Amino acid sequence: MRAVLLIAAKDLRQRFRDRSAIIVGFAAPLLISFLMSAAFGGAEDLHATIAFVDEDGGELGSALEEVLSIPELEEVLTVETRDRADAAARVDDGDLDAALVVPAGFTTAVIAGEGAELEVLAGVDAPLSAAITRAVAEGFLTQVRANRVAVATAIDAGAPVTDIAALAERAAATAPATALEDQPLGGRELDLISYYAPGMAIFFLLYAIGFTAKSYFTEQREGTLDRMAAAPLRPSAILAGKALSVLVYGTTSLTTVAVVTSLAFGAEWGPAGAVAAIVLAMVLAVVALTALVIAVSRTERQADGLASIVTFTLALLGGNFVFVATAPEAMRRAALLTPNGWALRGFTDLATGSAASSAVVPVLSILVFAAITAAAAAVTGRGLVTR
Amino acid sequence: MTSDGSAALSCRDLVRRFGERVAVDHVSFDVAAGETYGLLGPNGAGKSTTIKLVCGLLARQGGTVVVAGQPIDERTVDAKASIGYVPQDIALYPDLTAAENLRFFGSLYRLGSKDLGRRVDDVLELIGLADRAGDRVDSFSGGMKRRLNIGAALLHRPALLVLDEPTVGVDPQSRHAILENVAELGDSGMAVLYTTHYMEEAQRLCDRVGIIDHGRLVAEGTHRELVSLVHEEDRIALGATGDLESLRSVLSALDGVTGATTADSTVHVLARDARRLLPRVLEAADAAGADVTSVEVVEPDLEAVFLHLTGSALRE
Repeated sequence: MRAVLLIAAKDLRQRFRDRSAIIVGFAAPLLISFLMSAAFGGAEDLHATIAFVDEDGGELGSALEEVLSIPELEEVLTVETRDRADAAARVDDGDLDAALVVPAGFTTAVIAGEGAELEVLAGVDAPLSAAITRAVAEGFLTQVRANRVAVATAIDAGAPVTDIAALAERAAATAPATALEDQPLGGRELDLISYYAPGMAIFFLLYAIGFTAKSYFTEQREGTLDRMAAAPLRPSAILAGKALSVLVYGTTSLTTVAVVTSLAFGAEWGPAGAVAAIVLAMVLAVVALTALVIAVSRTERQADGLASIVTFTLALLGGNFVFVATAPEAMRRAALLTPNGWALRGFTDLATGSAASSAVVPVLSILVFAAITAAAAAVTGRGLVTR
Repeated sequence: MTSDGSAALSCRDLVRRFGERVAVDHVSFDVAAGETYGLLGPNGAGKSTTIKLVCGLLARQGGTVVVAGQPIDERTVDAKASIGYVPQDIALYPDLTAAENLRFFGSLYRLGSKDLGRRVDDVLELIGLADRAGDRVDSFSGGMKRRLNIGAALLHRPALLVLDEPTVGVDPQSRHAILENVAELGDSGMAVLYTTHYMEEAQRLCDRVGIIDHGRLVAEGTHRELVSLVHEEDRIALGATGDLESLRSVLSALDGVTGATTADSTVHVLARDARRLLPRVLEAADAAGADVTSVEVVEPDLEAVFLHLTGSALRE
């Protein structure tokens, strides 16, 4: 055991003297997670200023104007009433993001059951604002069509024609029968820093695979591995020492990122015990992956290339770069084949307020991955030190 | 040589193959305590593989290795403490200091912290790097790295020091310093196994030499024993003025001289044992009234032995 500790201490001393290891393990995950949160977090603050142009002058034009002024849209939209020419000029100049136009004859066309459309004048500089305006217009048109169907159905069912106006009014006032609302399991919204902080911390932790594999082959090439193997210690102690150094480095890196992003950026990580369990399991998976890369490689260059492939494949599949919950089904399933995908799922659940017990399945899944990988490494790399 | 079992190292019938190629082919030799044994052979002869088998760094397909009475193989742990291994490469950590390197490798040999500290200081003193103890190895010259490379194998006072071509690529001054260090270690009673493809090093340093080629130990013995295998005579080149022809005639008649010729103010005398004969040659020259201006004794060297035994030059 003493030899294992000595080798781990030596490796850590070298690792922490290497500036690039400090950057990759600590500075980069903090910086990149902060930058990604800032970059994508802008969408949460999106606000559009649009013009409302009513050339129709009918009931539906007025109804749409009322819809645009409801409190729920206040945070997203500021609406100014203008005529078409003025609105078009302002959108063109970039003073307004978009304009929503109710063309003349819109109400009449809807009542007559003819095709009726709203117009959106979109500025090239504000595509997201134009999209919001279109979404509002689509929502209104959907409601109008639904009301028409409701009134027509009532008449077909024998309702008195004299009650058509009252029916239409009641239909318009009725909320849709079903509505979707995003609600996280834990009851708390997931903010981006709480996703990207663990995402980037794990991504950069995966770099330890390459670092360590490369260092192993450097030691082999330069003879220090032979020199250690010539000493009175078991070859397994050398590998265990190197594994321990990755364990300490990885745990320190992830813990530092967790603490700093919590304190400095307000990231939610969840209960400390559950977070620690995921961190430890994930670092063990990295240790096992490192062993496998070393075991199947024959040269430093092979190990370097393979480690890069493993790092980026896992990061892409596991969702370290993109929020995997909004990705297609196949991608979400693929994420659960990776230890980092499970770790991110665990961290996400904890960050949204789920109980510590929600980390059990992710931790077990990561440990199963680590065990299978370590077994493969052990079989492939038998006699690694004294070939 | 040490069939009584007192050898610091005893190798018997070592065999190692890499696929079809036999790298070490039934090699046997012993090294006694205090003896410096050289394994001399060209690159690829099997020297480094033999060394790795001795140190338990490679699994072998046959034979035994016993160091200080304890068998060694690739699974051995404790008995390896008797060996100090100096790899051919500079096996040091360039980003650690000289002292940190020594402390790390010394600690692997289970030295206590007090003893380790003392040994690090002693070894740094021995290899002449005490004033550079706190400097990173990547700031050292090639010669300094080589000396530190040897120092790292001495911390635990091994019974057997194994050096694999320790002077490859160093300048003459550093080579001289390294050879001096190794000679001192041999004189101190340590058994030394030294591989080289430099004939001069083997001649200068080693009490006995094993000549290895294509994985086979083709001959071993002292320098004198090996050159006697060649059946080649020594030569004394005597530079002189005066009547060289009568001097040649006088010297030819001496007991032990097998022939003499003259060329370019020099009489060349062929003899079985030139060093022992030299005083009598000089006396005879003096008696013959010759004015001797230079004397050179040329003995058959290990290069000639290697050529004789293998049919190829040592450096090929």
